[in-house]
Amino acid sequence: MSQIQLKNISKHFEGKQVLKDINLFVKEGEMVSLLGPSGCGKTTTLKILAGLIEPDCGDILINGDSVLNIPVERRGVVIVFQDYLLFPHMTVEENVAFGLKMAKVKKSKRIKRVRDMIDLVQLNGHEKKYPRELSGGQRQRVAIARALAIEPRVLLLDEPFSNLDTRLRETMREFVCQIQKKLGITTILVTHDKEEALMTSDQVAIMLGGEIKQFGSPAEIYERPVSTIVADFFGEKNYIKGEIKDRFFICDVGKFKTDFNGFSKVKAMVRPEEIEISARDGENGILGIIKSKTYAGERVYYTIKTGNMEWKCILSSQKTFNVDEKVFIKIDFNKVVFFKDEE
Amino acid sequence: MEKRNLIFKIIMNILIFFLIAPLIILAIWSFSKIWPWPDLFPKSFGIRGFKYIFNPSNKSLKILMFSVWLSTVVTVITLLISIPAAKALGVYNFKGKRVFKILVLAPIIVPPVVVAMGIHVAFIRMGLANTFVGVVLVHLIPCIPYGVRILTNVFEILGESMEIQARVLGANPFQAFIHITLPLLAPGLLSAGSMVFIVSFSQYFLTFLIGGGKIVTFSMLMFPFIKSGDRMMASVYSSIFILTTLTVLLVMEKMVKSYYKGENYFYL
Ligand SMILES: Nc1ncnc2c1ncn2[C@@H]1O[C@H](COP(=O)(O)OP(=O)(O)OP(=O)(O)O)[C@@H](O)[C@H]1O
Ligand SMILES: [Mg+2]
Repeated sequence: MSQIQLKNISKHFEGKQVLKDINLFVKEGEMVSLLGPSGCGKTTTLKILAGLIEPDCGDILINGDSVLNIPVERRGVVIVFQDYLLFPHMTVEENVAFGLKMAKVKKSKRIKRVRDMIDLVQLNGHEKKYPRELSGGQRQRVAIARALAIEPRVLLLDEPFSNLDTRLRETMREFVCQIQKKLGITTILVTHDKEEALMTSDQVAIMLGGEIKQFGSPAEIYERPVSTIVADFFGEKNYIKGEIKDRFFICDVGKFKTDFNGFSKVKAMVRPEEIEISARDGENGILGIIKSKTYAGERVYYTIKTGNMEWKCILSSQKTFNVDEKVFIKIDFNKVVFFKDEE
Repeated sequence: MEKRNLIFKIIMNILIFFLIAPLIILAIWSFSKIWPWPDLFPKSFGIRGFKYIFNPSNKSLKILMFSVWLSTVVTVITLLISIPAAKALGVYNFKGKRVFKILVLAPIIVPPVVVAMGIHVAFIRMGLANTFVGVVLVHLIPCIPYGVRILTNVFEILGESMEIQARVLGANPFQAFIHITLPLLAPGLLSAGSMVFIVSFSQYFLTFLIGGGKIVTFSMLMFPFIKSGDRMMASVYSSIFILTTLTVLLVMEKMVKSYYKGENYFYL
């Protein structure tokens, strides 16, 4: 059981800065997600943590001690890579036993541990098979069992589910979360799937362009993004500029009541799913016209034009409107997130 | 479809014929006593050639064993040198990598004879001329390009990821090499090793120059007969030559396969 601390980690590759001043604190037994688009430096962060790459500067502490000078094999940080990298010339059993063998664990102990691990990932009956005889999900289980067998201090998962089809991905995700909770192993999960990050983790770190933009609980990250960049990462949003005055938000489309009074010049972020649409005016409705409609099964995406503003809305498909229909939209400006307007 | 199959079969058979025919003629030659020119078959058969070779006083078999030993040593050393070099060329990125890749082939492109002349002088000074070590060293010149080139291609496919995974799981660099890289490399080592063995085994001039007649290999025994036109003797020696290399290759393959438990030994 270990806590991890990354302190001011930076890394350049060929003159290009890939990581900028990364700070991250993972509590004992927690599952933290590193969430970010492709190429933002997630894998690089994991590799630095595991000791495969040296950072330009900064420090890594595990349980308070710097591990920068400890070589990969003795750091106790295991990565499960995206493509599992099972050793093709070894059976399932031998793969799982590999780390123990390298650590020169006694044979009797090794056999017991391997059996326990195979039980844990429910691969009984497949012990003697070679990796190429396994399905994708089974391979992944072997990879996880192999990593856990050596009782690492920290488990790093690099997009472990991205090679699986949707169904299997959900099963494996649940499965891995269960194991993680059961063993209480400190884990960092790298992903570019927002839902995955929000569903599985205790904390989420949003990484963009080599920087951690926000670090917090899933609800915090989703409901109170610190910047429009973080907010946009979880899907397109509506932004409207305006002014806060005497408990009112004044903008192009009207004057609305709000409790917010942080600063006066603001940019309000309205989530598409928080906009109510109705055919008749309630109170405070804004008149608009439906410009487009995209059907996506359980949801329908609309764009609605009010004055010179276009709103993106998401509605459940139970209630539908047609293109060119006149509708009223209603927004609760108490739920809206206000950002300081920089310009 | 039928027709295409037929054409394919014909081409296959022609190819096989061209591969086998010289060997058959070689075999016939090595048993024939007299085979004058326009005749399709030898006039009479005999086993003078084999008698000669198996006669201990001619030391042919002893020299054959020595040659196999020499080429085995050369093969092992070549592979030992080639593995790290090929890994660097196949896995890592560095400045001038392409130049190095071409330079590695230089000994094959430039006739080794040119280099060997200079080396000979140096070896005489260093006392390496006319010695086993000297001959082994000079054999490395034409052998290393093959070793490095073949293994580089293998490393390019293999990459470094498996080794990294092993390290992450607690293997030190040496363990990762022994338990992961080497087994994965085995098929490549086999083809590189076969190639290198044959190159070394058939070296004539370099052995002659550096060995100074003191180190005698099997291919050197062959030459006088080929030169003097004793076709029968030349054929006998050639047959033995081919049989030896084939045997060595088979033994090598068997060894690798049994070591890595047979069936699953081709990973690439
Ligand atoms: N060894 C390297 N040499 C040079 N550049 C590198 C190296 N490794 C990574 N990079 C660069 O660093 C950046 C971050 O790479 P990284 O692999 O960490 O991204 P990632 O967030 O894991 O992306 P993905 O989601 O696609 O896996 C990329 O722009 C990549 O091109
Ligand atoms: Mg990555």
